[in-house]
Amino acid sequence: MRFMMLMIPLGYESAPPDVQLDPERVAAMMRYNEALKDAGVLITLEGLHPPSMGARVSFAGGKPVVTDGPFAEAKEVLGGYWMIEVASRNEAIAWAKQCPASENEIIEIRQVQEMADFSEEVQQAAAGFSELPHAGRA
Amino acid sequence: MRFMVIVKATRDTEAGILPTTEEFAAMGRFNEELVKAGMMEAGEGLHPTAKGARIDFSGGETRVARGPFDLSVDLAAGFWMIKARSLDEVIEHMKRAPFPSGQIEIRQVYAPEDFGETFTPELRERVERLRAQAARG
Repeated sequence: MRFMMLMIPLGYESAPPDVQLDPERVAAMMRYNEALKDAGVLITLEGLHPPSMGARVSFAGGKPVVTDGPFAEAKEVLGGYWMIEVASRNEAIAWAKQCPASENEIIEIRQVQEMADFSEEVQQAAAGFSELPHAGRA
Repeated sequence: MRFMVIVKATRDTEAGILPTTEEFAAMGRFNEELVKAGMMEAGEGLHPTAKGARIDFSGGETRVARGPFDLSVDLAAGFWMIKARSLDEVIEHMKRAPFPSGQIEIRQVYAPEDFGETFTPELRERVERLRAQAARG
């Protein structure tokens, strides 16, 4: 099973565009990333620039409306993620608990949908398309 | 430049209501356009938060909470990883996504050169090796 570990740093919703990283924290996180890799569970990982450099597109009413970041209404935003392959949700939780996260961080664990999760009809509808890329399987 | 396009959860996605065959086919056509434009690296959907968990790191201890979680915070239902020349290019493409309602958020992904001197050549090399090994999986 594939899971996403979504890193949610509280306060990142209002971070300035030129946010600076602490080298010691980067080094600790690298050791954790290598442990994930050495255990053969890591598929991919990414870090995201603050929302002040991003945008939101809303589709309410069927017409796209673009809002530039930062997003005043956001209570929490994503700072980055890991995609991992493990045998169960409990195994994903156990890995997340080992992360050298700081006090103001939350990791949310979510299972990734596979084709087999969809109905046969939907699978047939999808079969007409060429093989689309997937993280770590491209 | 690389971007993550985060699809926000809705009451329907949180209820585990899957797209109809027509909606699925429309999204498939949209994804094909992204692939043909050379922009799509990955795209995934996520199961509802009812099947997920959150881990809180406050006070040096970990507290685990099982889903479902409240929609009043921004929850994700899926994402794309996109290659593009600018944020504006991503916005222009994503405005055409076949969503009848809802919201997506577009965020730039960090590249090694964004970190400046904090990110030493040794760290950069380790990250590149890590990525290559993870991709080979």
